[in-house]
Amino acid sequence: MKIVVAYKWAPNPQDATVGAAGAVDWSRAKPAISEYDPVAVELARELADATGGEVIGLTAGAKGVDATMARKAALSRRFDRAVIVADDSLQGAGSTELAAVLAAAVRHIGDVDLVITGDSSVDVGGKMVPTVLAGQLGWPAVAEVSAVTGGAGSVRVERAIAGGTQVLEISGPAVLAASTDAAVPRLPGMKDILAATKKPVQTLTVAELGVPATGSTVTVKGTSRPDLKARKGQMIDAKDPAAAAAELVAALRGTGAL
Amino acid sequence: MTVNTWIVVAGDPAIGDLIDTARSLGGEVTAAVVGPRPVADTVAAGGVDKVIWFGEPGDAPVEAYATAVADAIAAAPGVVLGSGGPGGRVLLGAAAARLQAPALTGASSVSLDGADVVVKRSVFGGIAEETVAVSGPVVLVLDGGSVPAATGSAPVEEIASVPLGMTVVQTKPSEFEEVDLGAAVRVVGIGRGLKTKKDLALIDGLAGASDAEVACSRPLAEGMDWLGKDRYIGVSGQNISPELYFAIGISGQLQHMVGVRGAKTIVAINSDPNAPVFTEADYGLVGDLYQIVPALTDALK
Ligand SMILES: Cc1cc2nc3c(=O)[nH]c(=O)nc-3n(C[C@H](O)[C@H](O)[C@H](O)COP(=O)(O)OP(=O)(O)OC[C@H]3O[C@@H](n4cnc5c(N)ncnc54)[C@H](O)[C@@H]3O)c2cc1C
Repeated sequence: MKIVVAYKWAPNPQDATVGAAGAVDWSRAKPAISEYDPVAVELARELADATGGEVIGLTAGAKGVDATMARKAALSRRFDRAVIVADDSLQGAGSTELAAVLAAAVRHIGDVDLVITGDSSVDVGGKMVPTVLAGQLGWPAVAEVSAVTGGAGSVRVERAIAGGTQVLEISGPAVLAASTDAAVPRLPGMKDILAATKKPVQTLTVAELGVPATGSTVTVKGTSRPDLKARKGQMIDAKDPAAAAAELVAALRGTGAL
Repeated sequence: MTVNTWIVVAGDPAIGDLIDTARSLGGEVTAAVVGPRPVADTVAAGGVDKVIWFGEPGDAPVEAYATAVADAIAAAPGVVLGSGGPGGRVLLGAAAARLQAPALTGASSVSLDGADVVVKRSVFGGIAEETVAVSGPVVLVLDGGSVPAATGSAPVEEIASVPLGMTVVQTKPSEFEEVDLGAAVRVVGIGRGLKTKKDLALIDGLAGASDAEVACSRPLAEGMDWLGKDRYIGVSGQNISPELYFAIGISGQLQHMVGVRGAKTIVAINSDPNAPVFTEADYGLVGDLYQIVPALTDALK
């Protein structure tokens, strides 16, 4: 089985700041393999090992996705090899553009049975790349997948639905977005980090791939800080829990919260 | 200017807010409905101009109609609206791919500027808001709202479609009782500061004493499986605006806190004085939840 895991090299917005004028400053937010992507890698690895297959890491983004650090971080995960589309034209690309590039790369890799992604990316978090990617390929897609079994051409997946889970059978290639708890990712050890440098990497540019033109133009008119409620920020000394509890309850009753 | 809109219905007719948004854009509103006939009928009665229905799904999941929905929309592109559940996202993703149109999430307002669609939306986990103008088709992933009241009777046109090769072979109900956190006046949120599942009794005690619902951070619902998925709060979970929210043993990462931004009062209880949750709290107590929660429960009695 040939399984592609689409991963993202992305910063955590928790570490970014937004200036008074609304500009997002990412300078203190260091990129990393996006939080949930290792779950996708693990899910793919387990399936590939059970079926005697290959796991290919695939990412697309501005040049930074092919930096030494980024390569090392990705390849120390349990991929067999990686395909990296590093192209500055992808700086700030939206979900649809990224998905179009990833789809073209999946076609370029050829004979792919399954694409697995994480739940959502740490920076954008829209959960749309896997489903647009499936649309670009004309393949079935399923999100919130907690388990996969089967082999090339036919898989059985379990996924969450409102109020329970469902088991689906899918024939032909498909795109699956893993739930955050679909597998427990292993942390790369020293051996994995050393092995990373020996894994094959293919780099591609957007021009080499033949990506369809976008159907719309998106113009950013501006960004701003969200208008948040001002919080009191009142600390209550909790050394004596009973006294602290009484003080808190009095305060909450005073404002009508209780 | 007006623009025509599509509303993509992924088996759930709770699209009241989508109809309102579509109506505000002034043009014709067509619903593309995947699911059993009664869903199409509910939507047809809910105030749209036309319904396109893809036939009885049988054992095909919603996602099996992704290509059929994209084809129907591509025949008359416009603004495409849909709600962001897992099935809905697959249908919307297929539409976005077919139109090569942007798929935008987190919108708080949608309006027209000439022929452009202007969208204000929350970005990067909620740290900022962005306003974009889109010229050409656009897909918007929104909250559906509630099931619309029966006010009209739009024609339902059945389109013959071949679903993709996927079938539902089993459906298992969750072991957890369903909950509507949106309706709760007070909510007690618990995070990874809780050591074992049985300690939830402590949290239930506080919830009982303060007449609150129990909620949690994502890892407790996904990973630990101590509570149902409909109880976790945040960017990927529930967004709530209760009168009072207790964040207990929750670090207060951005992805969690955006879900309680609307809370009138936030109380944080955490053993780490540097936990980010304190920067977004009205009242903060630094200490062990195993001591503070029982004291608080007693004080409320
Ligand atoms: C794309 C994306 C989407 C996400 N979406 C969501 C979402 O919707 N909702 C969500 O919740 N998370 C979400 N997350 C995860 C989020 O980033 C955090 O990892 C998560 O919220 C942390 O949960 P926590 O606060 O329970 O755990 P932790 O961060 O581990 O915090 C536990 C806290 O408990 C405190 N503690 C420990 N022991 C005690 C004690 N005895 N008494 C008092 N305090 C104690 C610790 O000091 C710590 O602050 C998302 C992440 C990503 C990347």
